[in-house]
Amino acid sequence: MNAPEIAPAQWRTKSANQTRLAFGQALLEIGAREPRAVVVSADTQDLLGIRPYIERFGDRFVELGIAEQNVIGAASGLATTGLHPYVCAYAPFISARSMEQVRNDVAYANQRVVIGAAASGISLGVAGGTHHSLEDLALMRSLPNMTVIVPADVNEAYKATLATLDIDGPVYLRLGGRTEEPPVGDPEAAFRLGKAVQLRAGNDVAVIACGALVEMAVRASDLLKKDGIGVRVLNMHTIKPLDRDAILAAAAQTRGIVTAEEHHLAGGLGGAVAELLAVEHPTHMRMVGMPDVFAMVGPTVPLRTKYGMSAEAIVDACRALLSGSKGKKGKVET
Amino acid sequence: MSETRDALVKRLEVRARQVRRDTWRAVRAGGGGHIGGSSSAADILTALYFHRLKIRPHEPKWPDRDRFVLSKGHANAALGAVLAQAGFIEDAILDKFYAFESPFGMHPDIKVAGVEMCTGALGHGLPVALGMALGARIQKKSFHTFVMIGDGELHEGSNWEGALAAAHYKLSNLTAIIDHNKICQSGRVNEVISVDPLADKWRAFGWEVRELDGHDMKQVIDTLDALPLDAKRPTALVAHTIKGKGVSFAEDTYVWHSNSVNDEIYAKALAELGTS
Repeated sequence: MNAPEIAPAQWRTKSANQTRLAFGQALLEIGAREPRAVVVSADTQDLLGIRPYIERFGDRFVELGIAEQNVIGAASGLATTGLHPYVCAYAPFISARSMEQVRNDVAYANQRVVIGAAASGISLGVAGGTHHSLEDLALMRSLPNMTVIVPADVNEAYKATLATLDIDGPVYLRLGGRTEEPPVGDPEAAFRLGKAVQLRAGNDVAVIACGALVEMAVRASDLLKKDGIGVRVLNMHTIKPLDRDAILAAAAQTRGIVTAEEHHLAGGLGGAVAELLAVEHPTHMRMVGMPDVFAMVGPTVPLRTKYGMSAEAIVDACRALLSGSKGKKGKVET
Repeated sequence: MSETRDALVKRLEVRARQVRRDTWRAVRAGGGGHIGGSSSAADILTALYFHRLKIRPHEPKWPDRDRFVLSKGHANAALGAVLAQAGFIEDAILDKFYAFESPFGMHPDIKVAGVEMCTGALGHGLPVALGMALGARIQKKSFHTFVMIGDGELHEGSNWEGALAAAHYKLSNLTAIIDHNKICQSGRVNEVISVDPLADKWRAFGWEVRELDGHDMKQVIDTLDALPLDAKRPTALVAHTIKGKGVSFAEDTYVWHSNSVNDEIYAKALAELGTS
């Protein structure tokens, strides 16, 4: 690999602990390395921090406005001409409103389109349920040909975005909002698609987490360690293709699995892990995530806590799993 | 000696009849299909594939080829007929319409040589074609992109998103052909949800518009040869057509939007379509 165009210190600073901005920073590097790259915006230039890209590579930039169906269709059309489109969009709109275009024009037609989906989960907490994206993983991972990635911090977001240079097919890259996601794990670690990163060792319970919940899982592991409970933490940054080996090993080597994600309990990471284990290695599980309700309005962090997405909720789920109880916060409630 | 215009028109008219016969043949093989919209599109498809499009049937992915997207993908029987006659696909595929594991189903599939996009879910073609036209501009390529849209299909809002953007970017390398046969699945388009005034809508969106008789081969090729109609606007061709054109009992009725075809009906249709 050539020397990077942008020094790590620079893109880290500009990413400001927000994965959506790391995506925009990585596009600068991609623009320099890949002449076929073209960035498509849905009136989302600041959301994904792409103004520096536009300034430098304006001839490989298309603004299509607030029109997600057209954005995805056009991205597919661009890809058929040999270009590598990077779509910058809001997760709630690009996954739900343009789902048919994603399914038909991108996944079914198997076009090389990378969707940068910012403001996922309840990161737009104060915007209310119309702007939350808590079903996008379920939608995207159910599509054949689709790769689904959920970075946990800016280092991973930056490197995962660069990794799309080698993915010859559709990618859904789930990014956060304006809430900071503090660094978790080794900032210098390489990103390996489809390979979970073990952040804590332990053989009592394994927590398999993605996105913002990875940092909470690490804190939960550290809290339980004080009580002599060994909690393995796997950062499952790639939801599809799933790291079967890491999950099956965790199931075999621990007393149970806790999944943790900022997504409805139906159909996301927990669902993916459960589908695998139910068939190949039935295992006691608890799932941490958004219950089957629409979230109320509020700042993101307290909303996460309210709906059971916190280090404390993961601790409770681990304890419940070990004690065999259903648990208070770890169970699926409606 | 080069072909006269009259001879060209005659040759394309003969070809269009063959396209209609092959369309019926495919639909007969499938036990039924979208005769109506395939037949209304047949003359324009013929003019595109046998006169206007710069394509290489034996090199279907030639990067500089003109693009054609059949957004009204339910007319795939006619597209298959054209692709077979042009040499993109084997003629025998037409007899496998709807067959188990056939590449030739109700709607176009990009895996088939000559097919540019998986369409038929309506309202997808124009955005995709917009991307192709933008791709040409970004890569400084001179190919032209055509998309054929049904009139009922214009109920889908995504068309109008694409229409806005194409005009915004002054994509003179993009032409939308509206197959205005005035009938959709449940009846007359304008009784289901009116699309009138159709030409004015496209003009208001910033497109250069021309209306034509989509069954008058001379008008069709004269119009296609005049593209782009404006150096700074995409073109919308509102082609007035007749659903089911070519077979009297299938013409201008929603019943033949899609219908079953048995041997008896097929024989009647062929009798009307003739042998040359």
